[in-house]
This record gives sequence, C-alpha cells and structure tokens, in this order.
Amino acid sequence: MLGEQLLGNLIQGLVLGCVYGAATMGLSLIFGVLRVVNVGHGAFIMVGAFTALLLFNVFGINPILAAPVALLIGLGLGFAVYYLVMQRLVQAPELASLLATFGVGLLLEETVKQVFGSEFRGYYWSVGQLDLGVTVLPMTKLYACAGSVLVAVLLYIWHRKTRAGRALRSVVEDAEGARVCGVNVNWVYAMSFAIGIGLTVLGGVLLTMFIPVGINPYMGGVYTLKAFVIAVLGGLASPYGAFFGGLIFGIIENGSYTLLATIEGVEPFALARALSFIMLLVILLIRPTGLFKTK
Amino acid sequence: MSPSRTRLERYYALLPVLGAYLVLFLIGNGQPDMWQLVAMLAFYCALGQAFNLFLGMTGYVDFGYVAFAGVGTYGMAISISHLSAVEGIGGWAIAIGLLLGATMATLLSLAVGAVALRLRGAYFAIATIGVNEGFRYFVEGARIWNGSDGIIFSRDLRLIFGRETATALSTFWADVLVLLIAALAGVVTLLFMRNKIGYALTALRADEDAAKVMGINVTKYKIMAFITSAVFAGLLGATAWALKLTYVYPPDVFEIHYTVEAIVIVMLGGAGTLLGPLVGGLVYGLSKYWLAVTLPGFQLLIFAPLLLVIVVLFPEGLVGVLKKKIGNRPLGKFIV
Amino acid sequence: MRLNPVRKWLGVISLVAGMVLTWPVPAGAALEKVVIGHAACLSGKYAKAGEQSFGGIQAAVNWVNESHGGVSIGGKKIPLEYKYYDTESKKESVTSLLERLITTDKVNALLAPYSSGLTLAGAPVAEKYGIVYLDHGGASDKIFTQGFEYVVQTIGPGSKYHTGTLDLVKAIDPEATKVALAYEDSEFARSVMDGAKEHAQKLGFDIVFQRTYPTGVTDLTPLLSALKATKPDIVLGGGHFEDGQLFNRQMADLDIDAKALSLIAAATLPAFYEALGPLAEGVMGPSHWEDGVTFSPDRANQAGLPWIGPSQDEFVSLFKAALGKDVIPDYHAAEAGAAVLALVMGIENADSVDSDKVHKALGDLTFMSFYGSWDVDETGKQIGHPMVNVQWQNGNRLIVAPAAAKTGDILYPMPTFAEKTAKE
Repeated sequence: MLGEQLLGNLIQGLVLGCVYGAATMGLSLIFGVLRVVNVGHGAFIMVGAFTALLLFNVFGINPILAAPVALLIGLGLGFAVYYLVMQRLVQAPELASLLATFGVGLLLEETVKQVFGSEFRGYYWSVGQLDLGVTVLPMTKLYACAGSVLVAVLLYIWHRKTRAGRALRSVVEDAEGARVCGVNVNWVYAMSFAIGIGLTVLGGVLLTMFIPVGINPYMGGVYTLKAFVIAVLGGLASPYGAFFGGLIFGIIENGSYTLLATIEGVEPFALARALSFIMLLVILLIRPTGLFKTK
Repeated sequence: MSPSRTRLERYYALLPVLGAYLVLFLIGNGQPDMWQLVAMLAFYCALGQAFNLFLGMTGYVDFGYVAFAGVGTYGMAISISHLSAVEGIGGWAIAIGLLLGATMATLLSLAVGAVALRLRGAYFAIATIGVNEGFRYFVEGARIWNGSDGIIFSRDLRLIFGRETATALSTFWADVLVLLIAALAGVVTLLFMRNKIGYALTALRADEDAAKVMGINVTKYKIMAFITSAVFAGLLGATAWALKLTYVYPPDVFEIHYTVEAIVIVMLGGAGTLLGPLVGGLVYGLSKYWLAVTLPGFQLLIFAPLLLVIVVLFPEGLVGVLKKKIGNRPLGKFIV
Repeated sequence: MRLNPVRKWLGVISLVAGMVLTWPVPAGAALEKVVIGHAACLSGKYAKAGEQSFGGIQAAVNWVNESHGGVSIGGKKIPLEYKYYDTESKKESVTSLLERLITTDKVNALLAPYSSGLTLAGAPVAEKYGIVYLDHGGASDKIFTQGFEYVVQTIGPGSKYHTGTLDLVKAIDPEATKVALAYEDSEFARSVMDGAKEHAQKLGFDIVFQRTYPTGVTDLTPLLSALKATKPDIVLGGGHFEDGQLFNRQMADLDIDAKALSLIAAATLPAFYEALGPLAEGVMGPSHWEDGVTFSPDRANQAGLPWIGPSQDEFVSLFKAALGKDVIPDYHAAEAGAAVLALVMGIENADSVDSDKVHKALGDLTFMSFYGSWDVDETGKQIGHPMVNVQWQNGNRLIVAPAAAKTGDILYPMPTFAEKTAKE
C-alpha cells in the first residue's frame, strides 16, 4: 500500500519535475551567460500563466498554441528589459543586478495587478485522463510534460548546433577572447537574456497546463525560490542541467511526502521543502557546479 | 597634533548619527501624532545599519538576512510566554528575551556562516536564501515553537507587567529600544571602520583574492562581520517585532521582502558608509508613508520604477554621492 | 548614456519638493462628522480580501449617509466619513498608519486591517488610545483571549465553520460515516479543522484522514493520493483561495470522488466556478454571507431584533458603485460593511462618540442586517452570527442550509468527476 503510493507519487513527481525543469532553464541560461541572478524570475512565469489564461478564456486558444505566443512575448520583454535596464549593469557588482531584476519583477507584478486585479483565476481545459492504477494522470499534465521535454531538446540543439549557440558558448568561455574574434558580445548578452526570459514565460504556460488554477499577480514568488534550488541542483550556469535538476526536485518534492508522512506529528509538505533547501546548501558546499557534468 | 586628539577625532563621525537619532526621538516624543511614524523610521534605520555591517562592509549579499530577525523575535516571544508564570519576573523577562534573541541569532549565524561563507557572489546569495526558507519550513514542518500557530503573547505580557505598562511597552518602549539598537549599530559600524577589521573588510570587498594573498585572514573577519550583523538583526526582531506587536507567526517573520528592503535601504543611502543606512532608512520610510497616505494601493507600482532608477543611476547611494562632493573639505570628516 | 549630474540632482530636488508640498496635513478638528479610520490592505498579500473589505465599508458608509441620513447623535444627523490608508499588508505600516488615523485624522473608531495577524499587530495601538477597534477580518479565537479591551468582532470564529456542513450530511445520509479532513496549516484553518473534528466525533463520524498542508502550496497531489486511499465519504478542507481552487482541481485530476466536498473560503466565491468550470458542480462551502441570503426586516421582526442597513440587493449595487467595477461582493465585503453598521448602531444607542460608551453599547447590542444576526460576548467575540452553506448547482450558488435561509435543495451525493466532465 505504501509502496503503491510511493510509486504513484514518484510518477507524478517525474511529470511535474519536467515542467519545473523547463521553467527554470531560462534562469540558468541568464546566469550562465551574464552572471546575473534573475530575482524576478517568478514574475515572468506569472506573465506566461496570464498569457495562457487570457488566450484560453478570451479567445478559446488552447495552451499548446499559446506556448509559442508566450515565447514571443517573453522574447520581446527580455530584449526590452535588457536594453533599458540590464545593459548598464553587466559589469556592476551583483548587488545592482539583483536589485534591478527584483525591481523589474515587482513592476510586472504591480502592473498586472492594476490591470487585471488580484483575483485568483483559472481556466478549465479537460481532454481526458490516463489511469495508471497507482495513480491517475490527466492528459493535460502529460502534454505539459511532453512540451517541457520538447523545449529542453530544442534548447540543446540550438545551444550546441547553431551559430548563435556557438557564439553564446564562446562568450561564456571567454568574453574578451570572443570579442577579439569578432563576436558582438553585447548582442550575445541581449539575445541570451531575451531567450532566457522567453523560456521562463513559456515555462509559465507549461506550468498552467499542469496547474490551471490559482493564477494571480503574486503567484511567482514561490516559483522563484523553487527555481533557485533547481538551478543550483543542475548547475547554476547550465541551462539543460536545470532540466535534470527539475526532474530530481519534482521527484523529491513528491516522493518524500509519502515517507515523511509516516513520521508522527510533522507537517510533511513543509518538511519536504525544508529538506529541499538543505539539499541546496549541501550541493553548494560539495559541488557548486551542480550534479551534472553538462556545460 | 597630540595622539589623543587624533584618536578622538576619528570618532567625530558619530556625532551626526547619534545626533540624528536623538532628534528623531525628540520629534517623536514631542509631537503627539508622530511617535509611531518615528518608530517605523527607526525600524528601517536600524535594519539598514545592522545589515550594512555585513553587506556594506563586505559586499556580500545575504539574501536570508531576515532569518536572524526571525529567530530574535522567537527569542523574545519564548521568553515572555514562558516566564509569565514566574512571580515578579518583571523587566527580567525582557532582558532575558533580548539575550535569548541575540543568542539564537548568533547560533544560527554560526551555522549559516560555516556553510555559506565558503561561497562567493551569487552562490552565497542563493545559499542564504536557502537558509531563510529552509529554516522557516523547518519551523512549520517540525512544529517547533508551535509551528505555524506561532506564539501570541499579549496576555502573558499583561500578566507580567499589568495592562498599562504592557501597552506602554508595546507602543513606546519597544521603539525606544529600536532607536538604541540603531545607534549602537552605528557606533559598532564606525568602530569597525576605524580598526583593523574595517581595513580588512575594505580590502576584501575590493578584491578578495588579492587580500588573501596579502595575508589578511579574510575568513575570520567575514565571520566577525556576519555574526555582529546577525546579532543586531536578532535584537531588532526581539524588539520591533516581538515586543511591539506581541505575536509571531513564521510566515510573517521569515518574509524575504524584509531582506530586500534592507538591501534597498543600504543601497539607497550608500553601502559601506556610516550615515548611509540612516539616510536610506529615513528616505525609504518617509516615502513609503507618504505613498501609503496619498496614493493608497499604488505604492509598489511607483516604488518599482523608482528602485530601478536608483539602481541604475545612483549606485553609490545618496551618502556615497555626498562623500564624493564634500569628502575632502573639513565638513567631510562628519560624513562617513 | 551618462546622465548630466545637474539633471540628476534637479530630478531629485523636484521629487523631494513635490513630496514636501503635498505632505498630508492634519485635518481640522471639529465634530461635524463621525470619522471611521481603516488601516486597509489594498496591495500586498491580502490585496484581494482587502479590496473587498474596502468596497463593503464604502458601500455601508454611503448607505448611512444617503439612506439613513447620517448618524443620529443628540437629535442631529451627522455625516459619516471614511478615511483609509494602505498598509501593503505589512505589519510595520499598521501601527504607524493607525496612529496617524487616531492623532492626525482624529477618527472616532478604527477598522482593523484584514487578517488575524495584522489585527493583532494593531491592537496595542488601539488599546493605548482607548479607541474602539473593529475586527472584521480576523477569525482567530486567540485575539479574544489576550485581554484587549476595545476589540469588537463581526466575523464569526473559525471553529464553527464546518459544523453546519456535518449536521447537514448527517441528516440526509446516516450511512455516510467516513470523513477526511485536509486543511491549510494556518491558524484560522486549523481552528476550523479542530472545530470540525470535535463536532464530527460528537455526531458519530469516523475521521479516516487528517492532514494539513502549508500555505502557498503549489501541488497537493501527494496529499490527495493518500486521501484517496482512505476512500472517504465526505471531504472537508481548504484554507484560502488559491489552495481551494487547487484542491478541487487536483481531486479531479486524481479522479477522487466523494459524496460531499466542502471547502472553506474559496468555494463560495464566483471566481471559483470561473476557474474550475463543471468540476465545481456540487462542491459546497460554508460562508458568512452569500449574495442571495434572505435576511430582511421581516425576518428581523420575527426574531425580535432591530434591523439596520441596506437590503441585500441595495448592498450589492452600492458595493459595485463604490468600487467602480462590476464585481460581486463576497463575505469579506459583507462582514466589513456589517461592522460599520454595528458601529453606527452602537453610536446611536450610546448617543455619543465617546469610545468607552460606544464600546459598552456594542457589548449590549444585538441586531440583524443584510449580513445576518450580530451579537458579541464580553470579550468582543462574535457569537450571534450563523454560517450558511452554499453549493454550486448548474453554475449558480444556492444556499442549501440552514433551512431558514435556503434558496435551494442540496444536491447529494455530489456527481462524480467523470459525470461532471461528461456533461459538457
């Protein structure tokens, strides 16, 4: 009985983890290239969630089609933020960029709140479910999972195989050297930031496919914190490391629940979260470059 | 100049700081409707001064700073709620509360420091976030100190002090303590700056590796600054949150936005300066108050772009800019 | 692009000058009006409930001035004024803003900020100045065991939220025995859970599952999987808004069917159905008040209670006008509005704005309004107000209990999720 539940939770955790991973890849990409921690990460996820919400409720467009729209919105936002704010701060101490990304996130949250109100919303999209015996998976979750994997694969291909990806990698390795070789470093920074934000907004859409309710302007904060743990797990600088980090995080978040719930008098969810942060600290101590050898 | 005169002169910079706090106290005490506003300003100044001891002097961003204030709050709460049964304990409950809060903050900072201070830059920042969040969920999850029920101890406070005094404690004396804490933090800041530790920290802030090569024991000084800063946060939590508001709920005291506020205050005023956090705290607190009163509901919408402007255009903060202009003139020795 | 330093400083100076010139100055003191002060939560984490409370208060104040003609004191009708500042849902701001309201705006009574925690934070200030402090959004029983002397509560205490639901099910289906409790781990929700558990055991129910989850949880799947395994007949739970929506949605995702599902806070709000669609069919929730309850002057007469305030419909339209949006008021709005009405009755009964007299009058007061009946005990805790049970049927909220207030019959057992999705 316990074993069944554990298995069920692990499966759910795996599916959720894919989505977490996809939503965090942007954070790692931005850090890897610009050495900037995007503290406003959650706000961009929120933008993606609202995109999916509005497209569905107002235009009847399902989230799968909303995803590319979200990506475009994210790209636009990313370029705007980079050229208006971040460009000046690339060489500044991390304090400045931390505060700046925080300010951007805050601005997004407040603007969305003023325009759309602070109500909690959701959308209802039901396309059947898959009964696995130990657990039940609605098809929407499976789509979210598949979408996340697809995004990760596409990012990998882009990063490894395209010219732009090569330019990016060269800048990461040695910005001065890349400049000397004729790479427009500022453009690479802008592009990386934009793609990072684009991925994050897209991640928001995927997330709503998993959890289509409770959408509101302040929903992002929780996800920012989770994203930090995931990004560290996968290696702060590695975008697809983040994907695997997400998988592990999802499995632990869900799987540990069943085990922790057997201990009397504790609140398993909160403890699982505490554990995830302890895990974060341990990883930072032992292997700050993350658990995976990807670069 | 005789040595003793130069020695004393080094501490002239304390005058504007202590003077400012005295003035704040007098204004608040003198005007009938200003005390709570002064209290709020004092809180922000104290927060800034305490945080500046670490962030300002080392340049490291401790994103989990509020956890120290949180445990400080618990220290006072535990002291009062448990000691209310003891006959005639009176003011000792508060003294013990302060001591307990400071001790808990020290212990936590030692634990955190042992792990996080080995890291640098963004890794350090993230590690400290992990501490704050992890600790909060641990308190809730393992149900220590009542878990998410928190501790409400207004009644215990009344039992110990009687209704009149208890109310006065919450609405006046707690804030006086906050002012004292802010002033003390200012004194300690200058002490740091004028002594070996200050030079070491300035060196490591500029270039940690170079400082190490020169033989400076960076780890020792980092830890000293870290713990000192944490202790002040603990004291602040014990007074401004516990004694003043008479309750503690984990999500209310382990709130990351306080850390962000502390960062903003320090940056706004000028990180690493003595006057900076004071100025930053005043400006921040007053702006918030003004916005809350004249444009309720819109504060954050105005605040966010302002923050961006400050970060981009005034990175050295108000006092930093002031220092650049007046630093070399005689008045400059008061602007530190 | 470096900004010319002169321009930089010009910008700073004009900003400061602007602030100084618009610095709010104290109001002229005169008792030509009765002023209620509110430390509101218009932004930050309680923004939604805070906005509703604000609308409810403004609606009630408008009613008092327009339909009631003002507050009757000493034979004259005095206008009621509403002053509010935004605390951003933060405790530091609460005390300074409350004091400003008391000393600068010279308010005659205070409305507490939303939530038990913030209500507690502001209580010492109210105590210090000896001003009536109306608690409209803090349901924690503990507020009233602290010895504060000026707090008066309008919202009902947490422990009573789910007792009515259990009574309802017991009456219809004596065979249903297994109850699952899954609440948010916050002070308020836990007091509901404890009250529900005690009542359930008294009625002979079997508690097969009892767990809590943290505030701000984003995925309830592990908890609900464990709940599913116990095969409960009735599921009671919830905490706030987003987790209520999550709860229902994830029960559907995991295909957990129960004969009855009742969620606090979230289920009775219109946004719930908008977010969940047909999955919300048959879901119930306890509420202090719903658009549709039938409290009226006649009912008051029958109960022998004085009546004050707008009718149900009037309140709804006043609310919409106050917010300037077409939003339906929920119970936060209603209870805040009712607090204002209670205050007005208190002042009129005391025939004065002196806080001690008004406070005493409120202690003796009992009345009925669109919000239902109202009565407080000697600590200020609300004891007169009944909960209603609301259920979604065909996209509408019907009040299914208590019998005296109902607008429809209960749909029991709740349709399975398969049935609900098949319907579309």
